[in-house]
Amino acid sequence: MNETIRELLEKSQADYTEVRWEEVFRSRVVFQRDQLIALEATEERGGIVRALVNGAWGIAIFTDLKDLPQKIAEATHLARKAAPHVRDKVHLAETEPVVDRFFGKMERDIRGVSLEEKRRLAESYNKMILGFHPAIVASSVRYADSLRRVIYANSEGTYVEQEIPDVTLMLAAVARKNGDVQQGFESMGFAAGFEKALGHEERAQAAAKRAVDLLSAKPVKGGCYTVILDQELAGVFIHEAFGHICEADFLLRNEPMRKVMEIGKRFGVEALNVVDEGFIPGARGNCPYDDEGVRRNRAYLIREGVLTGLMHSRATAQKLGAKPTGNARAVSWEHEPIVRMRNTFIEPGPYTFEEMLDGIEYGIYACGAFGGQTEFEQFTFSAAYGYEIVNGKIGEMVRDVVLTGNVFQTLKNIEMIGKDFEFKGSAGGCGKGGQWPLPVTHGAPHVRIRNVIVGGK
Amino acid sequence: MDILELAKRKAEEAELYEVKTEALGVSFHGGEVEKVASEEILGRALRVIVRGRLGFASTAGGAPEALVNAALSAAEHGDPAPFRFPALRPGPKASVFDPSVPGISVEDLLTWGEEVVATIKREFPELVVNVHLSRVKSEVLIRNTSGGELREARTFISFSAGVERIREGDIWLVYESQAVRRLEDLDRKGLLEKILTKLHWGAETVPAPAGKPPVLFLPSAVPVLFLPLTHGFSGLAVFLGTSPLKGKLGEQVFHKDFEVWDDGLIPFGPRTRSFDDEGLPVGKLPLVEEGVVRNFYYDLRAAALSGAEPTGNGLKGGPFGDGGFRTPPGPSPRNLVVKPGEGSLEELIREMKEGLIVGEVIGLGQGNIQSGAFSNNVSVGFVVRDGKVVGRVKNTMIFGNAYEILKDGLIAVGGEPEWVGGSLFTPPLLVQGVSVVAR
Repeated sequence: MNETIRELLEKSQADYTEVRWEEVFRSRVVFQRDQLIALEATEERGGIVRALVNGAWGIAIFTDLKDLPQKIAEATHLARKAAPHVRDKVHLAETEPVVDRFFGKMERDIRGVSLEEKRRLAESYNKMILGFHPAIVASSVRYADSLRRVIYANSEGTYVEQEIPDVTLMLAAVARKNGDVQQGFESMGFAAGFEKALGHEERAQAAAKRAVDLLSAKPVKGGCYTVILDQELAGVFIHEAFGHICEADFLLRNEPMRKVMEIGKRFGVEALNVVDEGFIPGARGNCPYDDEGVRRNRAYLIREGVLTGLMHSRATAQKLGAKPTGNARAVSWEHEPIVRMRNTFIEPGPYTFEEMLDGIEYGIYACGAFGGQTEFEQFTFSAAYGYEIVNGKIGEMVRDVVLTGNVFQTLKNIEMIGKDFEFKGSAGGCGKGGQWPLPVTHGAPHVRIRNVIVGGK
Repeated sequence: MDILELAKRKAEEAELYEVKTEALGVSFHGGEVEKVASEEILGRALRVIVRGRLGFASTAGGAPEALVNAALSAAEHGDPAPFRFPALRPGPKASVFDPSVPGISVEDLLTWGEEVVATIKREFPELVVNVHLSRVKSEVLIRNTSGGELREARTFISFSAGVERIREGDIWLVYESQAVRRLEDLDRKGLLEKILTKLHWGAETVPAPAGKPPVLFLPSAVPVLFLPLTHGFSGLAVFLGTSPLKGKLGEQVFHKDFEVWDDGLIPFGPRTRSFDDEGLPVGKLPLVEEGVVRNFYYDLRAAALSGAEPTGNGLKGGPFGDGGFRTPPGPSPRNLVVKPGEGSLEELIREMKEGLIVGEVIGLGQGNIQSGAFSNNVSVGFVVRDGKVVGRVKNTMIFGNAYEILKDGLIAVGGEPEWVGGSLFTPPLLVQGVSVVAR
């Protein structure tokens, strides 16, 4: 494959050409209540060519490898058509060409585990949830894995082969009482083999228990509170609310926003440090080489409260005078790489959880993440569940906890950062520009923030 | 060798779904052309029934033998199939193809995009304009061993524009999109006008009305209320007991002025098709008549499990998704239509006198959808005082329950429906009972 692709790239008429060909093994098992909704193990293949002509991108996506020569010509043709319309030409920051391979570690190769065993595992979690309590009326259990074999080559001589494993597990329970329906769930994901999907019985029970508990939890009263986010929600917060605006493609042709996001500007307290890291063993967001063949770099976004860097592709790095950070990622062969996060986290601070509770007369302890979305500075995300904090102590359970606000104000309102750091890989993924779900992880300790709007009755 | 023939060696029954997609798209970012992309994808999905058990597999670019083996092996560990594949018979032919769509050139798309950028920049030079345009042709083929074959070529144009107004501490995004099947339905001028109206309305920032003011959901925000309903009307959710509408057939669950049907045959509707993804005909299905629940929608599986008739709602992908070969079919609406009432948007605004207009939200689908709860940040919302729009809101959340609001809170259904969210044809809805929280 290497030689053929190299030859074709050499012949390409474009200023720069890259080819990514992916062969993906994937399998999944989905149960809803007693119904097996999906059971599949299959393979798919597809590729994408990107060509740069006179500062304009042309792209061709295809599923038949035989078409590669035509697709290189087609991408080149489209780029040529676009070029006269482009004033702000694309240039790529220089990188050393690399020839390398990376194969992610799997103790039990997902390809070697039978569909039957995967089914049995999902079914056992499912039964555990359904049998937990009479109020549990439905469940949703999803096991999914994939091994993405990516061959990347460009006309500068880079040739990288990677095998990226991904294993996820979603355990959800639905409880019902008098027409009230509540959900509890546990979600996890790993860059590893089948071994990581085993042994989560306690989490299945935790999901079921939470759904039942939420039936008797009261809806949170809407208002503006001091809030403590648990590790998972704090991780979602930093990813959703802050991470996305540090993706440099967003700033590329956005003069006003670039002023807002000036390097060296203070965004939060001294204790705040935010990092996007390309490789942590076993973490789902791992990206040893990104989809432009750039070797991972650690991107320090905030250091001691001050904005110190952004995440880059080669094009954004060139425009903004920075170095590529290895953040150009594509969710699959159907998409071109865009600037994305990998493993994003808030570094631990000095406080214990008890110290953080201290002094809160009435507040909310918000736990777990149901979802989150941002639109620039505006963010909103739902906690899976929460508790009241009354006079410095954890009080009653509350539900329907949705937090919203302006990220810049909220970062400034961070009062305390805990020392109890945790990393979370979830079964979901990040969405951007029609590319979803991209495996990412996030991490954080407990974080205490004042003046957070909590939606509620 | 033919895939069905190959499957038939070991399977009693088999069904092949094949989709070939050819697309061309352009994207503008910050007023500049960002990329031009073409796409040619062949996707296949195979369902088999072996010794009564159902198996499924899908692939792109994979060999036919591998696909067959994958489906057979899934069936080996699968559950009993509660249904059989029906003989495929052509029903009424839907209008879904416009021969001029595949002829739309790169230059056309680039020109249309530049036109949007230029028009907005003329009036608002400081704004950042992003545009996406694409034209798609997809050819769907469904064959099964019960006999028959259905084919259809469908065309699609999608056009969206987002405008960012960025000042420190005040960033605002206005978004409009269109998804149409034929070129003559593409209303480039209309899309621009809507964006400009919102930009004019939002020139000033004003405090949101707190408490439970009247709220006018523009069509673009009606999915906030409809997302729970698309789950609730799913025959599978009813069967599984996760729908609050379970056991409510024939009951008055909604306001008497609320009427909704699902119709797969609306000429050139965004989800119109001559047959669903299991090859069944897609007639009009009343869901709510005068507030009374009339039907749920079913695919083959959910229908068989529930002892109901399939309704031609077996679609690949979610309620607002455009399907895809990778997912097995599930119950999902085709084109959801809300029966319009009377009155223009201006009249509704006058009628509400004081309140909040919701144009767009972020966080759609957050919260406990199954129960009907919604909880969203209002990204585009306007304040009405004295029957006039006085400005836009910031840092504002809405919170409520779709079922409660569509029962007791419906004040008026507007008279001017629009396609939104890729599958919903709805007028604006004026309601009460939504909690508004603002800082």
